[in-house]
Amino acid sequence: MKRRELFVGTTGNTCVQGTRTCGTADLIPNVALRTHDDVPVRFYDNLVKGKQVIINMMYANCEGLCPAVTSRLVEVHRALAHRMGRDLFMYSITLKPNEDSPAGLRAFADMHGALLPGWTFLTGDAFDIETLRFALFRHNHIKFDLDPNFHAGQLRIINDATNHWVDVTPLASKATVLQHISWANPPKSFEQRMQDNRDLQDEIDREVAKYGYRKVI
Amino acid sequence: MQTKMFLSALALLTCLHAPALLGAESCEAEASWKASDAERHFVVLAGRTNVFYERSGPTYVMLIRGAGDNVDLGAFGIYADANGHPAFGAVPASEYETFLSEPAARAQAKSSAVMLRLEVSGPQYERVLRVLRTWERRVAERALLYPDFALDNILLVKQTTEELNRCRQALVPYELDWGLDDSISEHNIALRIPFEYFKELKVRNAARHVSDAAMPAQLRMATLTAQRNPQASK
Repeated sequence: MKRRELFVGTTGNTCVQGTRTCGTADLIPNVALRTHDDVPVRFYDNLVKGKQVIINMMYANCEGLCPAVTSRLVEVHRALAHRMGRDLFMYSITLKPNEDSPAGLRAFADMHGALLPGWTFLTGDAFDIETLRFALFRHNHIKFDLDPNFHAGQLRIINDATNHWVDVTPLASKATVLQHISWANPPKSFEQRMQDNRDLQDEIDREVAKYGYRKVI
Repeated sequence: MQTKMFLSALALLTCLHAPALLGAESCEAEASWKASDAERHFVVLAGRTNVFYERSGPTYVMLIRGAGDNVDLGAFGIYADANGHPAFGAVPASEYETFLSEPAARAQAKSSAVMLRLEVSGPQYERVLRVLRTWERRVAERALLYPDFALDNILLVKQTTEELNRCRQALVPYELDWGLDDSISEHNIALRIPFEYFKELKVRNAARHVSDAAMPAQLRMATLTAQRNPQASK
């Protein structure tokens, strides 16, 4: 009788608690993906490194949440059109990579008026998409994390240059989504911050003069 | 305000009936599968306690396949490394061989060891093997899903039992999902959850457990350990 080991246990394929070798070594996995134009890209190197990005997960035949989310993102894109593709980028990653080809994603984007500058739809290997989904959207809660639909209802905003991570539901108002995006904006220059302070002080002075106190805090 | 929005989003999401994202695998192979004495498949859910500092211990899924003169053996999950620390990966033979036969009655009575051995069909075995292979790849590529691999191990055992039940109810399930009715997740630390999960499954599926006496002779512990270490049988 011949005995065969199904798994080979070596130092290389074991994770020991308390070490940095236990997976999720990269905060943002550098997985290989394909854009809606069928261009191969590396997620971190080509799309995120040094940039401010807005990421959501969707799939083309999703009839519940995804169209509403995409519609909200179109509004957000419109509001930030002056920045999109310059210092702000939007990525929509499919939750169903086995069903959503680059051409299918392109058709979805076209149908929702989302073929816009700085907005890329992405697909790839199911294993890599799962890795990415957990890295970007996990709640460390088995019930939520195992429901990909739950992750379809989130927006992750990352400014890689400043290491700012912000999370917001795209079902919130457009103003709320825009506010959350602004929290990850690049830091302002000293002059700009001083100007902002002067503008704010002027506003306070006007309110105090008018009402005797500051009305809006 | 943000919490409110988060909860409304959650409520909306739970109301949506989007199709299952994980594609339903064809169950035709399982339906047409014929059991045969020439090829037997077993899935073993095994765990021990009082090994690590907070009294949890190794918990893993073991696969056994006997076909003619060949035996395939392997286990994947959490075990104690050479320093006694929890490690996640391919379980060394010296560890999983302790579960090639049923734990001593005393250990079972003290609840310090649990083992549920199920005989499964070829397609079920292949599906569980695929789950374990995916985790093997995740470990090799440093692509685990959680920073704490105790959570990854919970996913592993959950996926294993769900794969067993994909086409028919092969075992009476327990809903391990951190939901309101999941008391195991509510009352245990992550490292301990798979052990308690296996214990609960053992209770619910006692009739399905394959005892040592019911195991084929060539798959019994003495034979298998002797094959790994020929000196031991001398």
